[in-house]
Amino acid sequence: MTTTTPSVPETPQTRTRPRSAARRLLTAELRLLVRDPLTLTFVLVFPVLTMLIIGGSFGTSPDEAFPVNPSHWYVASYFTVVIGATGLIMLPVHIASYRERGVLRRFAAAGFPRWSFALAQLFVGLVAIAVAGAALLAVAAPVYGIPEVQDPLRVATGVATGAVAFVSLGVLLGTVLPSARAAQAVGLLLFFPSFLLGVGGPPPAVMSPLLRDLTEVLPLALVTDSVRDPWLGLGDANGSLLVVAVIALLATGLAARRTAL
Amino acid sequence: MSKDTGTRFLEQTVTVRGLRKSYGGRVVVDGVDFDVAAGEVLGLIGANGAGKTTTVECLQGLRRPDEGLVRVLGLDPVTDADRLRPLIGSQLQDSALPDRLRVQEAIDLFSSARARNADELLERFGLGKRRRSFFGSMSGGERQRLFLVLALLNQPRLVILDELTQGLDPSARREVWSAVAQLRDGGVTVLLVTHELDEAEALCDRVVAMRSGAVLDTGTPAELVSRHAGWATVRFGTAIQESVQLTTEALRRLPSVQEVTSERDQVVVRGDRAIIAHVGAWLVGRGSVPTDLRVDVPDLEAALLALLDTPADLRRPALAPYVNGASR
Repeated sequence: MTTTTPSVPETPQTRTRPRSAARRLLTAELRLLVRDPLTLTFVLVFPVLTMLIIGGSFGTSPDEAFPVNPSHWYVASYFTVVIGATGLIMLPVHIASYRERGVLRRFAAAGFPRWSFALAQLFVGLVAIAVAGAALLAVAAPVYGIPEVQDPLRVATGVATGAVAFVSLGVLLGTVLPSARAAQAVGLLLFFPSFLLGVGGPPPAVMSPLLRDLTEVLPLALVTDSVRDPWLGLGDANGSLLVVAVIALLATGLAARRTAL
Repeated sequence: MSKDTGTRFLEQTVTVRGLRKSYGGRVVVDGVDFDVAAGEVLGLIGANGAGKTTTVECLQGLRRPDEGLVRVLGLDPVTDADRLRPLIGSQLQDSALPDRLRVQEAIDLFSSARARNADELLERFGLGKRRRSFFGSMSGGERQRLFLVLALLNQPRLVILDELTQGLDPSARREVWSAVAQLRDGGVTVLLVTHELDEAEALCDRVVAMRSGAVLDTGTPAELVSRHAGWATVRFGTAIQESVQLTTEALRRLPSVQEVTSERDQVVVRGDRAIIAHVGAWLVGRGSVPTDLRVDVPDLEAALLALLDTPADLRRPALAPYVNGASR
C-alpha cells in the first residue's frame, strides 16, 4: 500500500489567481447579506420608517423635553438604531442559523482559516451599519435635514466603538443561542426595549425616574449618548464612550474565541 | 500524539489506534482501532449513537480525542489541522449551506488553490444546469450531489461521507449511490459512515461494525455475512403424491442441514450455506426440480443484527439467528 490515493483525473483550473479563503468567505457573506429579508427589514427599512414617523411627531422647536430641534434629535438618535438592529437581530439570527444547520462545521472541515469567519462577520456587520446608516441619513436629509456635527471626531469614535461593540455582541449571541428561532426571540426581546428606552422612544426628560435610570445602563442607550451628544453639542459623553469601549473589547475577545473554526 | 510516531503509518491513508472520546462522563468512542488503505472504500456501520460520527469528527480534527492515536495521511488531525483539512473532502451529517447561496457561488466559496475545474464535476453529477439555483430550492438528492461535488472539488486524498443518503427517497438514494460508485471506480479513498446496511453492502470494500463506541468486527461485507450470518434457507413445495415425512427424513440426512420443517404445503430446510448445493443436488438426483424452489441467504443487515444480538464473549460465527427469521 502507498500513501498516494488514486484520484479522479485532474482537469486544469479555470482561475489563474485563486482568492484567499477569507476573501472567498467575505464575498459570499456580503452576497448573502443583501439577500436576507430579516436584514433588509430590521437594519435598512425599520430605522428609516420609524425615524420618518417619530422625527415628524414633535415639531422642530426645542422645548423642555428636547434640548434641540426634535427632528434633529431623532435623526442623530436613529443612526444607532441601525447599530442595535445589526447587533441584536441580524447577526445573532444569521450565526445561530449557521450553527443550527452545521454550516460552521462545514467551513471548519473545509479548512477555512481559524479566524476567517469571525473576521468576515465583523466586516459584514460594519458594512451593514455603514450602508444602512448612509441610507438613513440620505432619507433624513431632504425631510428633516441632517443636524450639523459639532464634534466629528467624537461622533466617529462613538459610531465606530458602538458598531464594533454591537457587532461583537451579535456574533457572541449567535454562538450561544441554540437556534435561529431562539436568536430571533431573544434578539427582538433585547432590541425593542433598548430601542424604545434608549434610542427611538420618548426623550429621557419625559420619562419616569425609574425608566430614566434604566436608560443609563442600557448598552444601546450608552452608544446613542456617545454618538448623539457630541453630534448635537450636548456634551462629550466620555463616560458612556468608555463603557461602550469596554463592552467592545470584552465582546470582541469572547466572540472571536467562540467563532474560531 | 507526537509527529514522529505518525511516520510509521504512512502506508495507510487513515490509522486509528485506541481512540477514546467522552462528552461529560458519557463515553462515546471507546478504544476504536481501524485502518483505511489508499483507494479503499471503508464503511463505518452501526446504529445511531454507535460513535461513528464522533470517530470521523476526530479524523477531521473537528474534535480532540481524549486518548489514542489518529493519523490521516500521516498527519495528526488536531495539531496539523491547517495542513490536513484541505486534503480531506467532507460531506458532514446534518450540515447544510445557506439557503440563499447559489450553486456556482458555493463552488466559488469552497474552491481552494488546489481546486479542479468544477464544470466537469457539476456535469458529472447532473448539476450542470443548476448553477444559478439557490441551495434552498434544490431537492434532497441534488443537495447531496452538490455536497459530493464540494467534497471532490479540491482534489482531496480522502473523502469522508457521513450519512450521505439520510432522509432521501429511494430514487435519490440510488442517484447518490451511483455517484459514490463513480468515486470508487475512480480509485478515490472513501470513508463512508452509514447506518444503512444495504448502502454499505453495495458500496464498501470493507466495513467496520460499531456499537456503543466500540468496534464489533471488521471485514468485507461478505466476510461479515459469512462470519455472523452464515445460514441459508431453502423452500420448495411437495408434490401431492409424495410423502412429506419421507422427504423430510431424506433431507435431514443431507450434510450441513440443521432443521427441516413443513410449513403449509412447503418443505423448509435450514442450515449453513452448503445446504444450497446439497439440497439442489438431492432434488436433481431425485429427478424432479420443483418450480417454486426458493433460496434465502442473509445480507449484511442480518449479519449485523446477529452480531448485535450476540454477547461480546460469544461473538463468533453463529447459526442460531436463523431460527429468529433474521434472514431475508
